[in-house]
Amino acid sequence: MARNPYLPYPARIEEATVENAARDIKTFRLAFTDPDTAAAFRYMPGQFAELSLPGMGEAPFGIASSPTEAGYLLFSVKRVGLFTAELHSLEAPASIGVRGPMGKPFPWERMAGRNLVIVGGGFAFTTLRAAIKCILDPANRSRFGSVLVVYGARTPGELMYKKDLAEWQARNDIDVHLTVDEPDATWTRHKGVVPTVLEGLNPSPENALAIVCGPPVMIRFTLLSLAKLGFPDGAIVLSLEMRMKCGIGKCGRCNIGGKYVCKDGPVFTREELKALPAEY
Amino acid sequence: MIDKRIPYTDLDRLLDRLAKRGAVYAPIKDEAGEVVLAARTHDQPIVLEYRNFRLSPKALVLPQNQTLMCFKNGDVEEPALSDRETFLFGVRPCDARAMLALDKVFIDGDQHDPYYARLRAKVAVIALACTRPTSSCFCTSVGSGPGDAAGADVLAVALDADLLLGAETPRGQELLSCVADLLTDAPGAAVKEAEGQIRAAEDQIAPVNLQNIARRLRDAYDSPLWETASLKCLGCGTCSYLCPTCHCFDITDDVRGGTVRRVRTWDCCAYPLFTLHASGHNPRPTAKERWRQRIMHKFRYAAENYNHLLCVGCGRCIRNCPVSMDLRTVLKEVGA
Amino acid sequence: MIASHQIETRLREAAEGLLRDKKVGLFLGYEKASLPFRTAPLFLTEAEKAKRLVWSPFCTANLAVYLPRLFKAPADAREAKTMPPPPAVGVVLKGCDARSVITLIQERQVPREKLVLVGVACPGMVDARKAERALGDQEALGAGEDAQGNVRAVVEDGTEVTLRREQVLADVCLECRSPTPSIHDILLGAPAEARETDAARRRTADLGSETADRRWARLQQALSKCIRCNACRQACPMCYCKDCLLDQTRPRWVGAGTDISDVTMYHLVRAFHMAGRCTECGACARACPMGIDARLLVRKLNLEVEDLFGYRPGAALDGVPLLSAFAMDDPQEFLTEP
Repeated sequence: MARNPYLPYPARIEEATVENAARDIKTFRLAFTDPDTAAAFRYMPGQFAELSLPGMGEAPFGIASSPTEAGYLLFSVKRVGLFTAELHSLEAPASIGVRGPMGKPFPWERMAGRNLVIVGGGFAFTTLRAAIKCILDPANRSRFGSVLVVYGARTPGELMYKKDLAEWQARNDIDVHLTVDEPDATWTRHKGVVPTVLEGLNPSPENALAIVCGPPVMIRFTLLSLAKLGFPDGAIVLSLEMRMKCGIGKCGRCNIGGKYVCKDGPVFTREELKALPAEY
Repeated sequence: MIDKRIPYTDLDRLLDRLAKRGAVYAPIKDEAGEVVLAARTHDQPIVLEYRNFRLSPKALVLPQNQTLMCFKNGDVEEPALSDRETFLFGVRPCDARAMLALDKVFIDGDQHDPYYARLRAKVAVIALACTRPTSSCFCTSVGSGPGDAAGADVLAVALDADLLLGAETPRGQELLSCVADLLTDAPGAAVKEAEGQIRAAEDQIAPVNLQNIARRLRDAYDSPLWETASLKCLGCGTCSYLCPTCHCFDITDDVRGGTVRRVRTWDCCAYPLFTLHASGHNPRPTAKERWRQRIMHKFRYAAENYNHLLCVGCGRCIRNCPVSMDLRTVLKEVGA
Repeated sequence: MIASHQIETRLREAAEGLLRDKKVGLFLGYEKASLPFRTAPLFLTEAEKAKRLVWSPFCTANLAVYLPRLFKAPADAREAKTMPPPPAVGVVLKGCDARSVITLIQERQVPREKLVLVGVACPGMVDARKAERALGDQEALGAGEDAQGNVRAVVEDGTEVTLRREQVLADVCLECRSPTPSIHDILLGAPAEARETDAARRRTADLGSETADRRWARLQQALSKCIRCNACRQACPMCYCKDCLLDQTRPRWVGAGTDISDVTMYHLVRAFHMAGRCTECGACARACPMGIDARLLVRKLNLEVEDLFGYRPGAALDGVPLLSAFAMDDPQEFLTEP
């Protein structure tokens, strides 16, 4: 008999680190208490899980770690409500439940052999980190073409995963461009919004695929930029967010048209989204 | 197929037999004099003269609140469930069909809902065909009808003289075989009378044109009719809560003493909070988007995803809406 | 008493004139519904369509419930710039509805100067469910009013059945003390006197005279049918809070299920939030899909407010909302006398 999809796997917090200057985003490193669960929890970047705290409820978060990072899961959480406030107050070795993996991942088969343009903004970089870590893994890197990353935030302090970003910028098999709206005195990289920086870099749409994650306004303008650069709708991949509860397409809450963001998404191509009503 | 017959005087004996196996729900009059589908007790006579119950039977497979699990001292416990059968006698064909619609949502592929599935597996439906539809019924327009057997294990028809019965599923066959000594074969004339009654009832139901409704709704997504139609909606949730196919739910944690229960409760897409993000963004910010979502979900997305409408034409939403909204009016305007 | 038909004609003329002369951009009234014994709220913007307005014994809805959302303040600076100012609104009001509008004005939810109030002296409205029950197992195919003000229904077998108005009036109308709108710009129908001024008091008297255990048992029994749909709250013109206390999660005051303690809390909290504000329009009871008389508690609280503070919600426009005012002679036993 199939496992009860509402039942979380028990896990514990191994580490909680503050990600940003505003101190409202923390990255949690979780490990399953049962090693069999760890083996059974097979996921790909782009997927998410519902984190569960008894008494507080559940909330969905993109998995920020790549499956190539063995033995743990990373989730970055912004403190905005009841659940996240409670989670932020926890430290190792607090217990937490993990339900998943859920949703459709980034389209790995289609990404193979193509040049990748990865565009992220603000807090929405979580599953993009998972994707990049997975792509850069020695076992995988040769399967993809060039990788261009454009990641922006309001201020330098708000950029996430600073250690990873620094590592990636030192590599020559990935081209990382960071930008902020409001630089500080030490900022030496781009200034301006992500879509503008992207257009300035002028990536070729030839055999390329773009992955975009960010706040609604950034997505809107990035899509315009990608259109200007000649990217067809089928070559643009987005990850959406919705208020979710069950995460398995039953509670009726997260749908866009006839598609559930939890089950048929959260990853959609622009082509798929155009066929859906603009209600997100 | 209707082929058996039982005199009304033996109906109690039939239900008594079922009561030995499990819980029996039957139509009885409550203190206010209204006919409700309730747990049968011996001091309450069964009533067979009613149009339909105010509440749909969906609460028996999808309770208004249901404990999914308990957290206690670091452990998680799933609730125990009895395996006793549940017999629903007197459910109208529309409500029986609604269970099939809910099955499409909850029991699919590898993510089937064990809570729904376990309750549903215990339920046997003995549907009672309608002879007197109301002016808010439109079952015939959604592929159902006063004698529709979809979702019923046994279909019954109440004639003047006695009650006719017919098994519609293997489970129904098993049920009838365990009361076979109370049944006789229904004579052809009685079966014809039953068919005639059902046809007469069908003729009384005003049709609503739902031809190609999924495509018509897709084309009408940006129509101004959603704005005008939704102006009077109060967002009260009456329609969803009474609807036999509405199933949207919320999951919250209920903390009491040292125990935490994760609970599923009914929710409604007409509520403003339903799709509100923690950031404050709401993809369905006004009554217009929410009313449109209701209709789209039932008549378009359900058709696209399950090939089964999420409406059985029972008319409860129309009859109970405090501001008399009528979705038939909207459906008529779509693609008109 | 002018028959409904005459009022209907004058109502249509008034609405047409107001819209045509652009005195209002929107007129709220009632129109025919698809089922008998009911009307549906009508949002009229075109003068030529004023003929859709009706006035009948079935104009039960309290249209004041729509007013706060029509005059909602902009959510942020961007909305303040892009949102067009709301038009002036004309609205049909019965006695109870007018008291709701007064209370909304006093609570600063709607601006008086943007409203044109068409009051109608109300003879009491029909409860659709009572009328349906009165017909027994026959269903009405159509219903109207006769010259005596009774309800005349045509049933399935073609016959006509007359239902005496008193027999099918809504419970709240049987207790009505304010049939004539005290606030209006136009008044249709001759001002009427309240029928029985102490009906509400009598009905709550037995509630007060029973033992605590009996009262609790009665309350539990009445509330046990509640399915937590929130219809009573959504239908109530006084429940306009953007974030209802009963929905809050930080902290979660009330659970979401049908556990009797959560159900009781929900209704108790709502009742207390209505004390001194509820204008007894009955919208809550009418909306309730389970037939619970949601006024059970508020009715009693309102009488206590009247007895303790001499205050009736919505009685006069220049009144100050009860909980916003303090008089030196307000009773204070609970504070100073332990």
